[in-house]
Amino acid sequence: MKDITLTIDGKACKGAEGNTILEVARRNDVYIPTLCFLEGLTPIGSCRMCVVEVEKNPKMLTACTTPAQDGMVVHTQTEKLREYRRQMLELIFAGRNHFCMYCSQSGDCELQDLAIEHGMDSVRYPFLYAAFDNDATHRDIQVDHNRCILCLRCIRVCAEKVGTHTLDLQKRGWNATIVADLGRRLGESSTCTTCGACAQVCPTGTITLREFAYRGRRKDCDDAVESVCPLCSVGCRIKAYVRTGSIVRVEGTSVTEPDGGQLCKKGRWTLPRSAERERISVPMIREGSHYREASWEEALELVAENFGKAHQADSSGALVSSLCTDEELALFVSLFKDGLGMERLDTFDGDVLRGFVKGFEPFREQGIRPFTAAHNILNSDCIVNLSADPDEEAPVIASYMRVGTLKNGATLLNLSCRTSPFADITDIDAVCPTPGQSAALVEGLAELVAGLKASGGKALEEGKISVGELAGKAGIPEETVEGILEKLAGSQRPVFVLGGCLSRDPVAVTSAVNLAIASRAFFEDGMGVVPLVVSGNSLGTINTVLAREPWLGREKLDFLYVYSTGLVPEDEESLSAISGTKFVVVHCPFWAQPLVNLADVLLPAPAWFERSGHYCTIEGERRRLNVVVPPKGEIRGLSSILKDLSAGLGVEPGKPKESPCGNLFASEKPPADARMVSLEEVRN
Amino acid sequence: MSKVKVATVWLEACAGCHMSFLDIDERIVELLEKVEIVYSPIVDSKEIPKATVGVIDGALGNDEELHLARKMRKQCDIIVAWGDCAVFGGINCMRNFSDRQCALKEAYLDSPSTVNPEGIIPHDDIPQLLPQAIPVDHEVKVDVYVPGCPPDADTILWVFQELLEGRIPKVPSEKIRYD
Repeated sequence: MKDITLTIDGKACKGAEGNTILEVARRNDVYIPTLCFLEGLTPIGSCRMCVVEVEKNPKMLTACTTPAQDGMVVHTQTEKLREYRRQMLELIFAGRNHFCMYCSQSGDCELQDLAIEHGMDSVRYPFLYAAFDNDATHRDIQVDHNRCILCLRCIRVCAEKVGTHTLDLQKRGWNATIVADLGRRLGESSTCTTCGACAQVCPTGTITLREFAYRGRRKDCDDAVESVCPLCSVGCRIKAYVRTGSIVRVEGTSVTEPDGGQLCKKGRWTLPRSAERERISVPMIREGSHYREASWEEALELVAENFGKAHQADSSGALVSSLCTDEELALFVSLFKDGLGMERLDTFDGDVLRGFVKGFEPFREQGIRPFTAAHNILNSDCIVNLSADPDEEAPVIASYMRVGTLKNGATLLNLSCRTSPFADITDIDAVCPTPGQSAALVEGLAELVAGLKASGGKALEEGKISVGELAGKAGIPEETVEGILEKLAGSQRPVFVLGGCLSRDPVAVTSAVNLAIASRAFFEDGMGVVPLVVSGNSLGTINTVLAREPWLGREKLDFLYVYSTGLVPEDEESLSAISGTKFVVVHCPFWAQPLVNLADVLLPAPAWFERSGHYCTIEGERRRLNVVVPPKGEIRGLSSILKDLSAGLGVEPGKPKESPCGNLFASEKPPADARMVSLEEVRN
Repeated sequence: MSKVKVATVWLEACAGCHMSFLDIDERIVELLEKVEIVYSPIVDSKEIPKATVGVIDGALGNDEELHLARKMRKQCDIIVAWGDCAVFGGINCMRNFSDRQCALKEAYLDSPSTVNPEGIIPHDDIPQLLPQAIPVDHEVKVDVYVPGCPPDADTILWVFQELLEGRIPKVPSEKIRYD
């Protein structure tokens, strides 16, 4: 890109062709006030705060939307501009209810900051006092249209980052208001995902999240700690605001990140709400139907006694959460596997992970990384949903899929035995009657697409299967198969989103990667496959605690150690296996029902906001979890507890090993070198 | 040197601005060496005499307040608007989003704490509400604006000091607040 040079306020500023005046100014540390502008969203120049004067141009220009040109002489701080900006602010203040003294966002408001910056000590226009709706219909999100300045940030983030297009504008001029769907109140919206992105970007007190209102302005908080949301496989970066030792607000990070700084409803609400949950604060020992408090020494002695006996009888196991950090997982391995040589170690979602691991294995053997960073969905021209329900499994992936389809113009295909979760925007919805038929469809498509690509997309060569046969086998119309073939063959960079349920059949996973190879879904970091594994560090558990074969519930055990983060409910199957064990130790931060009811000994654990470590996320990054609030009371870190426990057991734990993330993410060969795998061989 | 005469009046507002003025604490002693407060809620005089500086705290919500604001303007050389109510209308403007009758009905009949079996809305013996509560400068010229709910004591004192130096101050950004 060609370099250009502008003179802004007498300073020579370098930029690139295509930059706006604002971009060049910011890059050169020249301040221009902005209000509707938010980096990462399409600039619209509606608030007129960023107006600048350009020599030889009679008009004032909005810096956020005006392309910079080589040799421009720009003035940003003339008396005329300051007066003009102040007038704009006064007009905004006169337009609606911007009386700060009864607004929850006073002190945390970009409009207020700008008015103060521009010395607005009075408003010279008559106030309109027009009454607008204060929309309190949504459980969590309040929209007071009286505070709205129509900057449209919420509409833009909803469209460009979340992709739901829930919010839009209705009416004109001063009467214009933000509206949900086509004229509903927010609480009545059928498209809102309650992600709260609109409130995060709102510069005034219009869109607020009830739970965070009046709990502390951002700038009054003692700390804002960056960490990682553990609740799904995406592992979104979060910023947790802390005031007087409490978490008062959780937000995404920057809008310029691929994820748009969004959080889904899980991250936005579950995390701060969990900080209010009742904690297990001291070790507890079961006595009949009650628990009594115990010292760490007594509790760990009792654990060691039962564990030791069961271990000698080869009747002990440990089940740990995949929300644990790499460091915690390494500690578990060092004691249970290296120290005790225990085979029965696993994670709650072990079956899902084993399915994916087995399905991916033939490709890892080839030295291929069989998946790509999740945000590459945004770089794809054809997004294929394979039995996934992203809005439930990993809502930010759902955002990627919607934005990819609606904003970037990608094709969206659904190959599943369920109707597409993106009903209105799916180009082809291939719903097979059974999961088996859906797997057969993927398998057949892989062969057909490979044939099409080999012939340069001209004609189908006679292969093992014909379109008609495949349609019959999959239980869908022939045109649907033809349509899918056309889309996949014509696509340059398709990406396949694999639902967690696909892992029940590892061959289906292999088959999906085959289809990715056939469709040339090649990204720099690996195959265009995004597996929706379960939680924040599911990938990290693969090379650590994940058992080769499932063992939980297969036999009645004498002893089971369970480590839960208390954030995700345990599945029925695991719970029934736990309840069938003679002696159960539950190590958990919260009184997570029904798990804690099954325990003989309860050990308090640090909560997500009290731990640090690393997660391997499907965003392809190793992300760091930080301590947001230090643990209080008798809560001890995992390493010291396991040290005492090993002493009690009389074993020497191994040295905790380096994280396995590197192994998982390593790709020895470019994905284009990947070979399709014969499913017959895999099956045998 | 004779003292500068200052009048202050509390119109439609809470007492916050005057309280904030008293928050200048012991510095009031030094200030009173230079100024004489000739009329104020904190001194006992019935009529607004001639003064150099007239401070108005509060919005204009009824005809008595309007009268007092006009009187202040007539009697004082420099008018200072203290606080968000005087500058912007403030919290009193909440009633501007509906009509006057609505506000009276709510206050005298409908609010849960009201006992008014005859349903009488007083009108003869009390000042009449204006159609809307308005900032002071919608009716009389204001020379100095001091926004804030309330303005900081330091800002209030700074404004007096500037006036005593013979300047008409404009509150700078670092002292402006709206809450």
